[in-house]
Amino acid sequence: MSGRRIVITSGKGGVGKTTTSANVGAALAKRGHRVILVDTDIGLRNLDLVLGVEKRIVFDLVEVVEGRCQVRQALIRDKRFESLSLLPAAQTREKEAVSGPQMVRVIDELAELADYVIIDCPAGIEHGFRNAIAGAREAIVVTTPEVSAIRDADRVVGKLTEAGIPLRLIVNRVRPEMVKSGDMMSVEDVCEILQAELLGAVPEDEEVIDTTNRGEPIVLDSTHRLAEIYDKIARRLAGEIVPFTNLNAPGFIGRLFTLWKAG
Amino acid sequence: MMRALESPATLLEPLAEPAAARGRAIVITSGKGGVGKTTTTANVGAALAAAGKRVVLVDADIGLRNLDIVLGLESRVKHHLLDVLEEKVSLDEALVRDKRSENLYLLAAAQTREKEDVVTAQMKALIEQLCERFEFVLIDCPAGIEMGFKNAVAGAHHAIVVCTPEVSAVRDADRVVGLLPSAWRPELIINRLRPQLVRKGKMLSVDDVNGILRLPLLGVIADEPGVIVATNKGEPLALDPSSETGAAYRAIAAKLAGENVAAPTVRVPANGSFFSKLGSLFGGRA
Repeated sequence: MSGRRIVITSGKGGVGKTTTSANVGAALAKRGHRVILVDTDIGLRNLDLVLGVEKRIVFDLVEVVEGRCQVRQALIRDKRFESLSLLPAAQTREKEAVSGPQMVRVIDELAELADYVIIDCPAGIEHGFRNAIAGAREAIVVTTPEVSAIRDADRVVGKLTEAGIPLRLIVNRVRPEMVKSGDMMSVEDVCEILQAELLGAVPEDEEVIDTTNRGEPIVLDSTHRLAEIYDKIARRLAGEIVPFTNLNAPGFIGRLFTLWKAG
Repeated sequence: MMRALESPATLLEPLAEPAAARGRAIVITSGKGGVGKTTTTANVGAALAAAGKRVVLVDADIGLRNLDIVLGLESRVKHHLLDVLEEKVSLDEALVRDKRSENLYLLAAAQTREKEDVVTAQMKALIEQLCERFEFVLIDCPAGIEMGFKNAVAGAHHAIVVCTPEVSAVRDADRVVGLLPSAWRPELIINRLRPQLVRKGKMLSVDDVNGILRLPLLGVIADEPGVIVATNKGEPLALDPSSETGAAYRAIAAKLAGENVAAPTVRVPANGSFFSKLGSLFGGRA
């Protein structure tokens, strides 16, 4: 049976697509699933940095597409989670170096090797976006509780719906204290506006910048509060019904997230 | 011009410097999304206008516009950039005047069209036309380095690169600088710095970032939740006299307007001890 093909997209840049791809991928791998992460941000790749494998890149997505190497040769296995691999993007090429049908072929091939193929989409809705969604059968839309991010996410939800790709939402960088003071939209508000099902809500955490810079996904630290949240997202993706984390619990302030039924 | 032609990485040829009577077109770009291009455009624009300059802000993010929201003008947008390029309306019909300043105008992006709908030559001509009427034309560039980027850069005379103290943002900024005309000397704004994290060695310092990018530093903006609030409300912080971040934007505007302004306002301890991995990532701009 071939694996699931999930694109992680947002419209707006900098909302956490790459961080989400790395952490959800690692959380799935920790649970024993075989996961391949695909960086489709040709020319502006970063997933290799977030995973800390940038020095081990030999071949990339464009070289696979051009038939210069086998797909297996281009995969970089993560040393910490052995069922996690990365297919990196090319850095010195353009998005137009790959076409939609070529992407579909690569993703199909990868889906034979893994339980989950997670496709990290570039920002925007141009050629790179169209490539990233071409081979996907499901989508995770990442947004932050900001008007501009939600407006961009709405555009992307429209495009995914047009393409017949079902989607769920991760609301990222929630600051419960700002929600409480009325300075930030709540997770409920965001889901309501986008009319989308919630897959997870991730609080803002300043350590993410540091771990990202170091190439160590935060789920590596099992004691970190975000590790539990990403693990729950991974379990929901795998089909389990998992209650949402109460951000009012010690260490969290703010609104309850238990109002949602899990998908 | 010579240097631009010699560089294989250069996508675009620089325009000649504008004549003295004409305005300056500055593109605000970054490569990576979400680092603060739109917030920077709105705040620097508002600060320039408050200082008496005639300013127009151009949203080049067709399909994913947001500059109208950050300025609180979304309900006043009737026509957009593509309407002008396609000669459906005149420039005057499409320009939206700011609520607060009679010196500040917005030319919004189309929301339901694609970046590929813009013809680069038309974009250049439009920016030229705006330069005849405004002292500053600030172009808010979309994320990425695709067609939208190329169109946003096409008519500009100068670039401001916005970067956050994150390895991925620095790598993307470095890539973008390599794609800008080499005759330009883009200026750098480091955004969302958290001095206390820098002090703890948990964030890149200004020196770490600019040790890689090596650009003239135009300003440093601290990370503060007030920016999110201001953006959601559509009220640029640059207009808030009590905000330190607002003051930093006003200093950037003053510098752009040619005033002699002291160094960036965020005080950060010198910290040369960052991650060894940083240096090895950038073998120069090939």
